[in-house]
Amino acid sequence: MLILALGGHEFSRRRGNEALRDYMLGLVETDRPRICLLPTASGDTREQIAAFRQSMGSMECQMSDLSLFRLEGGRSALREHLLQQDIVYVGGGSMVNLLAVWRAHGIDRLLREAWRSGTVLCGQSAGAMCWFEWGITRSTGVARPARGLGLLPGSLSVHHHRDPDRRRALLQAVSLVIPPGYGVDDQAGLLFRGRELAEAVSARPGAGVWRVESAGGGGWTETELATRRLSDPRSAIDEPDAHVAELRRTVAARSGARGRA
Amino acid sequence: MAAKRQIVTFGGGGFSMEAGNPLLDEFVLQLTGRSHPRVCFLPQASGDADHYIVRFYRAFPADRCLPSHLSLFRRIRSAREPRRHLLDQDLIYVGGGSVRSLIGVWRAHGIDRILHEAWHRGVVLCGLSAGSLCWFAEGVSTFHGPPERVEGLGLLPWSNTVHYSSEHDRREAYHRWLRDGMRPGYAADDGAALHFIGDELAQVVASRGDARGYRVECRAGRVVTTRLATRYLGNGEAIPLVRAAKTEPVPARI
Repeated sequence: MLILALGGHEFSRRRGNEALRDYMLGLVETDRPRICLLPTASGDTREQIAAFRQSMGSMECQMSDLSLFRLEGGRSALREHLLQQDIVYVGGGSMVNLLAVWRAHGIDRLLREAWRSGTVLCGQSAGAMCWFEWGITRSTGVARPARGLGLLPGSLSVHHHRDPDRRRALLQAVSLVIPPGYGVDDQAGLLFRGRELAEAVSARPGAGVWRVESAGGGGWTETELATRRLSDPRSAIDEPDAHVAELRRTVAARSGARGRA
Repeated sequence: MAAKRQIVTFGGGGFSMEAGNPLLDEFVLQLTGRSHPRVCFLPQASGDADHYIVRFYRAFPADRCLPSHLSLFRRIRSAREPRRHLLDQDLIYVGGGSVRSLIGVWRAHGIDRILHEAWHRGVVLCGLSAGSLCWFAEGVSTFHGPPERVEGLGLLPWSNTVHYSSEHDRREAYHRWLRDGMRPGYAADDGAALHFIGDELAQVVASRGDARGYRVECRAGRVVTTRLATRYLGNGEAIPLVRAAKTEPVPARI
C-alpha cells in the first residue's frame, strides 16, 4: 500500500521532473508497469494529457488516461481498468472539483480499493493533497483548508515556498483547526507505506519537505525533514547553458541601453 | 410582485450543436426582455473546456449581449463573487457534457443554491443536454455510454431526457424507468426547447421544422408519449409568449 505525494511535478524536462517520474516507476517491480493518468482536477485538459503521454511514451510502461468528462464505453469499465493498474497518477488542478467529480462517479471508492489491492497511488499538487485528511487548496481562489479522502492521516500543502499564501494558510490552519502535516516544495515528495511515512525525497537543489505542527496557543513549529536526493544525470532544459545565459544578458543590456537613449 | 421564474431546456441545439442556426439561442436572449442582456455561460459539464468557452463567445458577441463565463476549475476570484455575478445576469446558459460531474462541481462550490436563488429572482435559466437534465428532479443521461438514471437539482418537479428521437437506447431506458416509478416528465428532440414558467410547461419551440417536445408518463403500467405542439422559430416573426401548449396524442411506445 504505497502513496507518493509530490509538492509540485509536471511531465516536462524541467529540473527534477524526470527524476521523480523515474522514482515513481521504480516503486513497482513489474517490467512494463500499467500507469493511468487521472486528469480530473484540471477538467481533463488536453495539455495535461499530452504532456503525460509524451513523457511516458519514452518509458517502458503501458500508459492510459481516464477522462471523466469524455468518458466513452460506460462507467462499468472504470473499476476494471483502475483496479488493474500498477500506478495511478493524479494530476493537479482544483482539489475541491477533483473530489466532487470523483464522488459523483464513485471513483473515490475505487481508488481506496485499488490502494488496498496494491496499486501505487501517486499525484502532484491537488493530486497529492487529495489522499490526506486535509489539504490547502486554491480551488476558490484564496488558499484555504479543504477536506481530502483521508487515506493518509494529517494534512498536506504543496508548492510550499513558491506559494507563500498557501504556506501561511497551512501554518495558521495547523495552529488552530486542522491536524499536523507537511509542506512540500515543487520537485520534492513524500512516500507513504500504509499510513506511515517511509521517506522524503528531493529532485532539485533547494526543494524540501517540512513537518508542520501546532505549538499550542495559536503557534506552530515548522521543521525541515531530511530528504533523500534523487540524482539525475540528464541535463534539465529549463537552465540554459552559460553561453545562452551570457547572450541573454547581452541582449537585455543592449535593449536597456536603447531604451535610455 | 414576484419575479417570473423561467427555465428553457434544449433537447440539443444552440451554438453547441447547431453551428449557423442561432434560433434557439436568439429565443432565450429575447426571453430576457432586454435589448442587450447579460449572459453568463456555465461550462462545468465539459470540465470548463477552453474550446467550448471560446465557441460561446463567438456565438454570443458583445454587440448582441454582455457575455461572460464562470470557470470553477480555474477560479481566481474570491468566494463571494460567483453569487454576485450570477444574480446580476439576465440569462444563465449551461453547456453540455457530464451531468454527474456538473452537479458534483456545482454543489462543491455552492452554485446549486445560487442558481435556485437566481431563478426565483427572475434570471432566465437555460441549457442543453446535461444543461437541460440538471434543472429537473431526475432524468436519463447517456453521456458515459449506457443510459443512466441521474438526479438533477429539482427546480422542475419532472423527469427529463434529451436527444429523444435520435437515441433509441436512451428512449427505451427512460420508458423502462417510467414504468418502474420514475416521475412523469418531458423529453425533447435535438433542436426542440421546452419553456417552463414556474413549474409548468408554457410552450415548446424549435430551431428545426421536424423537432418536437414530448410529455412522457406511465398510465396503468403503460408508457404514454404525447407529442406536444411545437412552434418552429424560423419564420422570421417576433416571438410572442404562449400561455400553454396544445397537445396532440400519438400512440405510445412500449
